[in-house]
Amino acid sequence: MIRATCLCCLVLCAACTGLRPAQADELTIFAAASLKTALDAVAADWQAATGDTVSISYGGTSALARQIQQGAPADIFVSSSSDWMNVLAESGRIQAGTRRDLFGNTLVLVAHDAGLPSVKIGPDLDLAGMLAGRKLSMALVDSVPAGQYGKAALDHLGLWSSVKANVVQSENVRAALSLVALGEAPLGIVYGSDAIADDAADDAVTVIGTFPTDTHPLITFPAALVADSDAPGAAPFLHHLSSDAADAIFAAQGFLILN
Amino acid sequence: MADWLTTEGWQAVALSLRVSFWATLISLPFGILVAYALARWNFWGKQVLNGLVHLPLILPPVVTGYLLLVTFGTQGPVGRILNDGFGIVLAFRWTGAALAAAVMAFPLMVRAIRLSLEAVDPKLEQAAGTLGASRIWAFTTVTLPLILPGIIVGSILAFAKAMGEFGATITFVANIPGQTQTLPSAIYAFLQVPGGDGAAFRLVAISIAVAMLALILAEWASRAVARRIGAS
Amino acid sequence: MTLHVDLAHRLPGFTLDLAFSAPPGITALFGQSGAGKTTVVNAIAGLLQPDRGRIALDQTLLLDTAQRVAVPVHKRRIGYVFQEGRLFPHLTVRQNIRYGRWFAGHDRIADTGRVVELMGIGGLLDRRPATLSGGEKQRVALARAILSQPRMLLMDEPLSALDEARKSEVLPYLERLRDEMRLPILYVSHSAAEVARLATTVVLIDQGRLVMAGPAAEILSDPIASPAFGPRETGAILTARIAAHEDDGLTRLDASAGALWLPQVDAAIGNTVRIRILAQDVMLALASPASISALNVLPCVVREVIDDAGPSALVQLTAGGDTILARVTRRSARSLALSPGKAVFAIIKAVSVARDAPGQHGTRQDR
Repeated sequence: MIRATCLCCLVLCAACTGLRPAQADELTIFAAASLKTALDAVAADWQAATGDTVSISYGGTSALARQIQQGAPADIFVSSSSDWMNVLAESGRIQAGTRRDLFGNTLVLVAHDAGLPSVKIGPDLDLAGMLAGRKLSMALVDSVPAGQYGKAALDHLGLWSSVKANVVQSENVRAALSLVALGEAPLGIVYGSDAIADDAADDAVTVIGTFPTDTHPLITFPAALVADSDAPGAAPFLHHLSSDAADAIFAAQGFLILN
Repeated sequence: MADWLTTEGWQAVALSLRVSFWATLISLPFGILVAYALARWNFWGKQVLNGLVHLPLILPPVVTGYLLLVTFGTQGPVGRILNDGFGIVLAFRWTGAALAAAVMAFPLMVRAIRLSLEAVDPKLEQAAGTLGASRIWAFTTVTLPLILPGIIVGSILAFAKAMGEFGATITFVANIPGQTQTLPSAIYAFLQVPGGDGAAFRLVAISIAVAMLALILAEWASRAVARRIGAS
Repeated sequence: MTLHVDLAHRLPGFTLDLAFSAPPGITALFGQSGAGKTTVVNAIAGLLQPDRGRIALDQTLLLDTAQRVAVPVHKRRIGYVFQEGRLFPHLTVRQNIRYGRWFAGHDRIADTGRVVELMGIGGLLDRRPATLSGGEKQRVALARAILSQPRMLLMDEPLSALDEARKSEVLPYLERLRDEMRLPILYVSHSAAEVARLATTVVLIDQGRLVMAGPAAEILSDPIASPAFGPRETGAILTARIAAHEDDGLTRLDASAGALWLPQVDAAIGNTVRIRILAQDVMLALASPASISALNVLPCVVREVIDDAGPSALVQLTAGGDTILARVTRRSARSLALSPGKAVFAIIKAVSVARDAPGQHGTRQDR
């Protein structure tokens, strides 16, 4: 009994002081929800190769950023918007030199009706005519990045004022996509990666056009080491996220590989 | 004062008050009926009804909103009938927000009314019957006044819940400023952008003020009524 | 107006199956707890639908299962005074007693003032039920039932929730109600004392069956009914006239068998009162006793001697035009050689007095 207790104490002490096998590390990643499919695959590969345990907490970028600001024990933050990464940089919550843009995304027009012909998205697009009074589904246009980019693109093309009244806004881009999938809104503006993820699932929406990249600010997913991170495996994993192997996985999920 | 909150903010406050008011008012007769059925009647499927009423308490609000969307949306079975037959559209309208709020608040309302019903002796209605009152009159003149405190508490609880409802509302009717952007939706939107905290907190302050006011009012009203009917 | 009842209804443990009539005056529905009394009353009120039955008030049909007639509760116009009052707690006494009037229509506007005075609740009108005593509550409940202008009244043990003091507070009001309202009243009770004091007609039931029914004086003095009332409560009632209030505080009453002297009876000379003599309070002697403190000795003739429970016997006596019951030991009955036709003297140790119902002498009903 006494020996067992001693053994327990020893194990507990080892856990407390971070006494672990030399190679294996435990990493905590905070990442934007839209990265789930791709990032899970990348993390699984990394775990298999290094023995590190990678736990990923997915959520809305704003919620994750606020948690990191309040001292959440994350090692790496992968954001869906530069704005929130800027906020963390200003308050010193990320390690300044480690920030990098991992990849980008495209903005696409999706339709519920699979029979709709593809369109070329430009100033001549009669989006209001296509809607005919029905709804255009987007993420929150003033606060969720996908919605902000979409609004910027429509503004740039001079289409915003004609469809503004028809826009229904959801709290995230996946919810916006599901309104199109259900047919409650005939058209929607979402990320290319989300449309692909949906395609893989049940093919309820069809991409009928891609917004030219010059119509909206560059869509990037910046990542950085969090200020308090002391896990030795964090920096190598962040580096791995921009490796060719990871790029291939992200590209397959519809993300845009930068440069 | 007008600068203190944006136009959108004021719209959200006004919309939330309107949505909550109608959600409460429309669900009240159903709430009383369901509470009465659960408290007084024995019928086949009573437990099923009880479970259904409480479902919104158990399910994640987003799921309730999704179920509302696939049922009452323009493509949903009920939504289509309402639209084709009566020209009523709920999805993406403030009326849909009221429906979502009503469904979410319904269990709270039913519970409060049912509790007060169970404290009223059903034999009083029999006595009213022997004095010449039909069942509906016996209910109206005897039971209804006696459960008034419960109805007030249930209504205010429902109103407060409706004021705070977010998940089901944004899933069912999205977030259209001036139409379906309720107070919680506006707060959520402000919290998504860096620097939106100030505006969000001002709306939160209004939320808290409205909720406190409603609860104090409920407490005061139910006590006043209880005193008046001599039930305490 | 007379109520005619014929009912059959399955209850847990036994089947209710009986028929009786209730003429104007108070008809006591008497029986042990669980005999089916409340079931009968609820069926009459319409609160319970019996398996089979026919209920009519004179020619007005309230229920006939054969003809599929069942008048709903609120259209029967039968007042119901419940055991526990069931006053509406959110209404004042005034609002409570006026409740039934909303629905009564305009054909017979009952005189609220008269009923309020009859029940002695004039000082309570603005109070709420929660502030009333048990006796006051029942008087208000009575007033409320009367003011709904019923064609008859049902009372389900209206006094059983009250203590003795409250009972004696309410009983005079019930007597006044019986004497001043020409309504049939069906009064459920399991108290022999209440029945003896109030009833003009008694319907005795046991296990859902009718045992006997008839005028109160006849049923109460029938030895066969004795087991239903219990040995301590068995006793006859007879009618007597106030003859004189004498100087030493005694009142002389003339009964058909002779004079009785009782301590100051609160009634005017010439009035008739109902007196109840319990069988256990009667001693028998073969000769007129001399040198005895008891004042009340009536000459009687033995009509019947019936062995009672245990070592006692019940002796039914003819006293003038009335009947008295006496309980003696079997040993005494043997040593006195009591047998039908024998002349004896009844020595009465205690008497209770109640106001008599004027002119209520129906005929015996049998089934």
